[in-house]
Amino acid sequence: MLKFITAILTSLATGSIYALMSTALVLVWRSTRVINFAQAGQAVLTTYIGYEVIVRSGSYWVGLIAAIISGAVIGAVIDRFFMRPIFKRVTTGPIVMIAPVVATLGLLGIVQAIIGFKWGLSYQTITAPVSTDGYRVFGSVIAFSPFNLMVLVSVTITMILLTILFQKTNIGLALRASAHSPEIAKLSGIKVDGVRTLGWALAGAAGGLAGMLFVPSSYLYPNAMDVLLVFGFIAAVIGGLDSLFGAVAGAMILGFAINFATTYISSKLVFPMAFIILILVLLIKPGGIFSAQKGRKD
Amino acid sequence: MLKLTASKKRLLFFILLGWVLLLVGDRVGELRQYQGSFVAMYSLAIASIILLTGYSGQLSLGHSALMAVGAYTGALSINSAHLNPVLALVLATLVAGLFGLILGFAVARFSGPYLAGTTLALAVSLPTLANQFPILGGEQGVVFDVGAPPARFGESFSQYKWFFWITCLVALIMIWMISNLLSSRYGRTFRSIRDNQTAASLAGLNAGSLKVVAFAVSAGVAGLAGGLLVMLISGVSPSAFPLSLSFSLLTGAVVTGVYSLKGVMLGGLVLVAIPEIADSITTRIGGSEGFTATLPGFLVSALLIAAVMFAPNGPGQIFRKSNKQDNHTEGNK
Repeated sequence: MLKFITAILTSLATGSIYALMSTALVLVWRSTRVINFAQAGQAVLTTYIGYEVIVRSGSYWVGLIAAIISGAVIGAVIDRFFMRPIFKRVTTGPIVMIAPVVATLGLLGIVQAIIGFKWGLSYQTITAPVSTDGYRVFGSVIAFSPFNLMVLVSVTITMILLTILFQKTNIGLALRASAHSPEIAKLSGIKVDGVRTLGWALAGAAGGLAGMLFVPSSYLYPNAMDVLLVFGFIAAVIGGLDSLFGAVAGAMILGFAINFATTYISSKLVFPMAFIILILVLLIKPGGIFSAQKGRKD
Repeated sequence: MLKLTASKKRLLFFILLGWVLLLVGDRVGELRQYQGSFVAMYSLAIASIILLTGYSGQLSLGHSALMAVGAYTGALSINSAHLNPVLALVLATLVAGLFGLILGFAVARFSGPYLAGTTLALAVSLPTLANQFPILGGEQGVVFDVGAPPARFGESFSQYKWFFWITCLVALIMIWMISNLLSSRYGRTFRSIRDNQTAASLAGLNAGSLKVVAFAVSAGVAGLAGGLLVMLISGVSPSAFPLSLSFSLLTGAVVTGVYSLKGVMLGGLVLVAIPEIADSITTRIGGSEGFTATLPGFLVSALLIAAVMFAPNGPGQIFRKSNKQDNHTEGNK
């Protein structure tokens, strides 16, 4: 029973980190129709910035805010000065289809190399602001700590804020309109380019938050978020790539599947489980579980 | 004077190239022979990417994993099953191709982000699997020994020259076969699907299954290249196939122009040259450990971005700016 409760709680905690990454990917996908593979690099870079601020100021919370803000700024800068020129430049030839994705891959390499130049390849640690020792339940320690609870709460708050932004504000309306149909949005006077940049900024901030919440229970090194990027992508595909709700739900499904498989079957099943789920979703419902439209074939 | 058909010309070209390589191999030192074998191996791997990306419009980030599949197959069939190295390489191709077929059936029907993301997941997760099966040798890996060169070549025939011969021969034969495939009916159908899937489907082509075929063939070629790679480094381990290998291959393909097989050797040269260049930069200006370790990755990525920005359709594009419009519609090669 205790094992079961622990599995549920850790699933929620890991699922919420995946949710931040999948949300970041979905935000960019909705605004520019690109899977931003550089997201892993951006998130690690902003986490390093947060790390530096923590070292200077001594406070995790100042570092967290610095990471979120710098994540947003970096996201916006990348869209404005990197992605937009590429979309404008590469307009002929069959490479148009893959050029943006290839560009984000190149960017991922550049960002990770810059991190390597600046901070080296050694492992850094960020100390969590609250205890990472598991709670004691009926005299035994479970694998769920106050920090995990903090992760869960902060992700929930973030998701509520994002939902309010998207559903209740004019900016959210503009974001949804440009995602749904850029041409019509442009005709209605929405500055689609600016809205896209905003989507990238939001994604960057979500990535920064994901990094700051993930690293305290792991280590900080240039490739720290690569695995999270993969899980975030799988979660986004489960959710249908287009919907924020789907991204969160997909992340939770993935978190539960992985944690239950590792708790009850074998601890070696993390990657095989994730991969099997991805393949199953693509085989059975390629449009994503939460997408109302028919399977997307192109 | 007899008139040569296009396919005869191609065969003649490859034989000529092989002869030139044979002469070159005799005249350069061991280091160059070793580097030359890497160029041949990378060229073959890049050809597999071009086959996939350039001719059927799919983007794979998992070719490092497919190479690993071929490499492990080859190493195990030499080590555990004691097969002939030639047979081991054939087996590597077949198993990787089969693997690609199964994977392709699940994802290759989709273009866009799905294949790229799924193959990325594969490239990240497959090396971790290798640590979990004792037969794959964990971090230590499995030894791959192709054997000393046959005695009839004489005493002075070095191991590196033997590597050079094997890789060049394999790469030439395979690339010749790929270029034949691409100029055949299949190449045309692949291109038609890439350029306009709806029109191709209306013309009666089964776009989905053709994409799966393209992915499987590309996976097989990648597996063969993986087998050659572990022959050159004489052993296979998970760390030989990092995700960055996939990125390097993609860079090589984009730099040579992803829509033409003509420049694959250029891509292979670039991939071999980049670590050398990085090395000479770091020995000249020094720098921290992090700088030394990440400089090659930085150069690869910078080259990838530069290629996408300035010559997205290959280096040839710069020289034929004037007829930019039709260089992709007629289809290269």
